[in-house]
Amino acid sequence: MNRLEKLRILAEGAKYDASCSTSGVERKNVGRMGNASCAGICHSWSADGRCISLLKVLMTNRCVYDCEYCVNRRTSDVERASFEPEELAELAMEFYRRNYIEGLFLSAAVEGSPDRTSERMCRCLSLLRNEHGFAGYIHAKIIPGTSTELIHRIGLLADRISVNVELPSQKSLGTLAPQKTPAGIFLPMRQITDTLADRRKIGGTVETGVSRKKETFAPAGQTTQMIIGASPETDRQIVKLSEGLYDRYRIKRVYFSAYIPVHQSPLLPSPLTEPPLMREHRLYQADWLLRFYGFTADEILDEGNPYLDPYLDPKIAWAIRHPERFPVEINKAPLEELLRIPGVGTLSARRIVRQRRYAAVHYDDLKKIGVVVKRARHFILCCGRYYGDGTQEPEPLRQLLLQAGTGAKSQSPINDELQISMFQPLAMRGNTG
Amino acid sequence: MIDYLHDGSFEGFLTCVFLHYYEEPAAGIYAGKVYQPSLLHAWRLVKTDQEKAERVYDAISQKISMSALRRCYHLHLSDSSDRYNVAFHYLVMGFRLGPRVGSLHGDPIVHEAQRLARKVSFEAHRLTGLVRFSVIAGDLGQEAEEILYARLEPDHDVLELLGDHFADRFRNAPFLLHDVKRKKALIARNGEWIIMTMKDEEIPAVGADEKEYRRLWKVYYDSIAIKERTNPSCQKRMMPVRYWKHLTELTELPEDE
Repeated sequence: MNRLEKLRILAEGAKYDASCSTSGVERKNVGRMGNASCAGICHSWSADGRCISLLKVLMTNRCVYDCEYCVNRRTSDVERASFEPEELAELAMEFYRRNYIEGLFLSAAVEGSPDRTSERMCRCLSLLRNEHGFAGYIHAKIIPGTSTELIHRIGLLADRISVNVELPSQKSLGTLAPQKTPAGIFLPMRQITDTLADRRKIGGTVETGVSRKKETFAPAGQTTQMIIGASPETDRQIVKLSEGLYDRYRIKRVYFSAYIPVHQSPLLPSPLTEPPLMREHRLYQADWLLRFYGFTADEILDEGNPYLDPYLDPKIAWAIRHPERFPVEINKAPLEELLRIPGVGTLSARRIVRQRRYAAVHYDDLKKIGVVVKRARHFILCCGRYYGDGTQEPEPLRQLLLQAGTGAKSQSPINDELQISMFQPLAMRGNTG
Repeated sequence: MIDYLHDGSFEGFLTCVFLHYYEEPAAGIYAGKVYQPSLLHAWRLVKTDQEKAERVYDAISQKISMSALRRCYHLHLSDSSDRYNVAFHYLVMGFRLGPRVGSLHGDPIVHEAQRLARKVSFEAHRLTGLVRFSVIAGDLGQEAEEILYARLEPDHDVLELLGDHFADRFRNAPFLLHDVKRKKALIARNGEWIIMTMKDEEIPAVGADEKEYRRLWKVYYDSIAIKERTNPSCQKRMMPVRYWKHLTELTELPEDE
């Protein structure tokens, strides 16, 4: 089989992995070729609108597991291929020097055993780093059940590593991925968290005077991914689980992947089901509220409301449920309260705080500052004046916001650009935020 | 009140700012090439004066801020015909208010300067990803060697903003970024780079290897898209169509001779 065929098959097999970010590590060219930019760099956008920044491929799609939801499961009728470590390393270098990519995202099906596959992945990464002198970005997938020693070796070679949670509950994992165990997933995750904490990459404070260790372990941290819509969990369960992962495992980011039916099975939604893209979008919005806006999962969704409103941004939905918190005076409220106003983002909230140190923020300034005024005006006071339509009652307010076209906007895809903007220096920030 | 016209260099612009304060107040500042004479004001062609420019340069960094200086420089690189006036008004305000000018996001002058400067730095950032190199046999040095060659047509004159990033990344590989629109090129080797003028000369035909990798990249590009999620409007929003003609993945492979 030629290289072209292999690449086609192994990219097809990897495309359902949502992560493609390259942010979180700043590194000059310490090898012979490559560097990494903390803001992350997107190189292209595919026809589905998702960014391409890494060469995202599988080492192999030959699999001994039979996970129901997976296109590469043992009983699936797809073409099979495997890369040789040398072959893939060379391909990545040739792509990299043409600036097609920012680095490599290496995942794999389980060929033989987790360790056997991981060994080959490790070999490929080692070739890249040591033989080719590659100093660009590497994201490596950890296969559940890989030995601690191998995980450690991979972590020393990669910038970011991830173990996929796959399904949002133990029960679904048991039903749909019987060969994967919770321990197989959470033990590696715990090991990575502990190693990172140990190296003071996350948590705690760096002691001054202690010389840093030369070797770095996954400097861009760990992420994970779960599939949305293949199993019956509610949005509340999913958001709660994400929150737990951020708190307990210091995960950098939880990715969601709308389930795209791959085959007919009594355990899965029918192949005619549309992928739940809007649900995925709302979950990402909720995820942003957790990570950047100071919300807790219980605030976003409670026992009585286990699903996110498909027509409204979860932040608006929260604000409508809490009329007692509004209106908020733009010129007085602390940053945390500004961040809770619908239509005010992290960037515009900081700009408000910056400007009002020197000059009052007037209503006409808000648009220039980047606030989405048609959304925000119902929830704010500006220099003591209110600009909304006079109602704080949940249902009329909801109708007003829906009519203003602020909730059910066109479905957005997974957008790494947005994530990037959070870490970019001001001069780099583009049309996002 | 007078319109100052300069030679289009950043120093030329700074010289005009100097004259505004020490000779005659400026009604506007323009690059001479694009100036449309107005009935309202007289105009004066300004000769760039390095010393005056340096005094303004230092004054901006000391009395306003480094970020104001950087912002003005980015405005200078912008393709907006009004760029020097935007920068000028921002500086006048900056000299009056000091460093806090950068925080007045709601002010129309500040907002316009920040908006325009951001477009420039954003395009530079965007191009760090969208540049596509071809490996060609070059003759930059004495012996024949491979060089990386890329064509681009940015909206703004951002070539020099790409220098440090790529010179570090490809420290051991000589490369050439060719701004076809402005007929100039950034040439780098061993981590150092310079900008030169460059006409649209014949570029050597690409070899079999180069074609092979382009083909591989196109196959990858098509395979990675999830067809159930096809979303061309999003794709175009993130990667505007004007950039497509220099993207390997979205152009045809050259014909075989």
